Amino acid sequence: MYEAMTASVTASMPVSESAYGFTQTDIEGQALFSLPFGDIVNFLTPYTAVLFVFALTFTIIALISKPERQVDTVMGGDAYYTKDISRETLRFQRFMAIACGLATMGGIMAGDVFNFTLFTAFIGITNIGIVAAVKNKHILDNAFEYGLLAMIGTLPLFVGAALVLATTGTLSMWILFTPEVAVPLFAKLLLVIGVIAEGMAPVFVAKAEITRAPGAPYILMVHVSSLLIFLRVIEIVISM
Amino acid sequence: MQLIIRKVSRILQNHNNLTAVYALVVIIVAAIGLISIAAGEITFEKDQLYPKTINPDSPLNPYDRGGSPFVPADIKAQYPGNFPAIGYITGYLSPFATALIKISPYFGTTIVAHPGGILDEILYATRGLDTIVETSILFVAFTTAMFLFRRDEE
Amino acid sequence: MIAAISAFAATATAITTSATGTAGTLTSLTVGEIELFGLSNFTIGLVGAIICIFISFYALMREKDDLHRLLLTDLIEVIALIAIALLGTDLAEALILPGLVVGVAELTAMSQIYIVKEKLVREPESYLDIEVMHTAPAIIAVGMLIYGIILSGFTGGAVAGLGMLFYFACKGTEEKTEILEKVSGYAWVMWVVAFIVFMTLPAYWFFALMLAGTGILAKVAIKISILGTMRKNDGSGGRRSMGGNGNV
Repeated sequence: MYEAMTASVTASMPVSESAYGFTQTDIEGQALFSLPFGDIVNFLTPYTAVLFVFALTFTIIALISKPERQVDTVMGGDAYYTKDISRETLRFQRFMAIACGLATMGGIMAGDVFNFTLFTAFIGITNIGIVAAVKNKHILDNAFEYGLLAMIGTLPLFVGAALVLATTGTLSMWILFTPEVAVPLFAKLLLVIGVIAEGMAPVFVAKAEITRAPGAPYILMVHVSSLLIFLRVIEIVISM
Repeated sequence: MQLIIRKVSRILQNHNNLTAVYALVVIIVAAIGLISIAAGEITFEKDQLYPKTINPDSPLNPYDRGGSPFVPADIKAQYPGNFPAIGYITGYLSPFATALIKISPYFGTTIVAHPGGILDEILYATRGLDTIVETSILFVAFTTAMFLFRRDEE
Repeated sequence: MIAAISAFAATATAITTSATGTAGTLTSLTVGEIELFGLSNFTIGLVGAIICIFISFYALMREKDDLHRLLLTDLIEVIALIAIALLGTDLAEALILPGLVVGVAELTAMSQIYIVKEKLVREPESYLDIEVMHTAPAIIAVGMLIYGIILSGFTGGAVAGLGMLFYFACKGTEEKTEILEKVSGYAWVMWVVAFIVFMTLPAYWFFALMLAGTGILAKVAIKISILGTMRKNDGSGGRRSMGGNGNV
């Protein structure tokens, strides 16, 4: 079925468009370019290109900037002290922030549902790493709660991807985004709540504790990546 | 009404309830899933990629996908054009695997894990990007664990 | 220690799951075709998976203890693998592996966070000390290492790594794990090079296949065996003394 589908879509498109057949979706527009890796064909559209530039910018900021040093003032006196971040922690957090940025860019470019879920899980685990590096009981408690959420979030993600494959026979977004293929609501819901758990974008309940952690801009990478990947999954779910 | 809001926000403000709240959301979505199965919305698409065929008489059972060393097997990939050498990895048998075939007909699973075979074709070539991400996840997770472990040792 | 044991348990359960998943597809070759009470066998399996989701997430909702919640997440990841296995195609088998790895990786990191969070850094007063830990490590490690090398790739890495993990956990080691990690990093690069060869020079698929098989084997085996060295063992085969109290 998918072969016929690809063929029919390609036939209706100009030949110069692409070999995979795309896909004028409602919110993202025509694919700008495609990057094939075997069965997985990554692509960027005007919408995802904007997200990609955002992710790239913040990764570069994480790469070149020095961490902030929080200042605590002592109540009732002139004394103040700056929190020192050890070299080891700094290097580790910077590595994790860059890995997180790369994972975000991968997730934004993903042209395959399962590949997208893997990149999302990758973002989840780098986020845990960034937060867990801070040596503070409250923040570690939070990192643990987040980690649990990221771990159980893999269930909706993978079950969602498996359902997409089971009901349509393909994982490629190039085919899933065509109007001929219908993805059940259940699979879409699973993907969205999976990303919520991994990316943690709308779950701001426990964020207060984490923003208190020293180590910006690396800590900020947690927020940026989760926001961008959430925007991306909404786009995928609407287009499917 | 106010009482209910107060009670709900008391649960939500505690970060220790985060997983419980999320578990509730997943249970609700799973219930929606049950309803949509009952409504017949979720049907299995029979035309799947990389279908499984089983030939119990073959010594490569259950992974006999045809082909032989340096003769490609017929693989139903998503975009066969993107990997021109498709089928060669599936067909390949190392000398060791060839020897195993002659010993016993029950080594199919060992042979498919040995270099060559359908799973290697999917994992390394046609969906190799998945494996890249997967090993990177393992790498990052171990880095985190070792970082915390070493810091404690000091 | 907890990290090592839970990662071991996760791998073991998940390997069993993938094995039963395969066995399931063996008996029912036609997923989505066999009918029972007017439902296809895929639908029945999916309903079963959803019931498992209900049970496990309800348990997670009620549980308050951190360690038990961590163990429950492992149960949940197994359900995700079952849902993928329902497809019964070769692709599903290939997708189980990344799913499994994500679970094991996250469990490793989380166990270590749990240890740090609960400040469980003090040496335990007595370790598990049974006879098999003195007599078996060498033979089991060698056997699993050889079988792992034969299997190659990811499966081989897991098998060989578990053998080495058992050896290090029982015998202890003074090795510098940094060196092992460096080797594992180079092995990862080997696999990436193999992937680039697959994508750009498909004619050299044979070279890339061997490179990928070896690279992933070395990487995974080393990563898993490092877990064994994380138990601060002095090499006395599980027997140790605490604070000069003599052998326990």
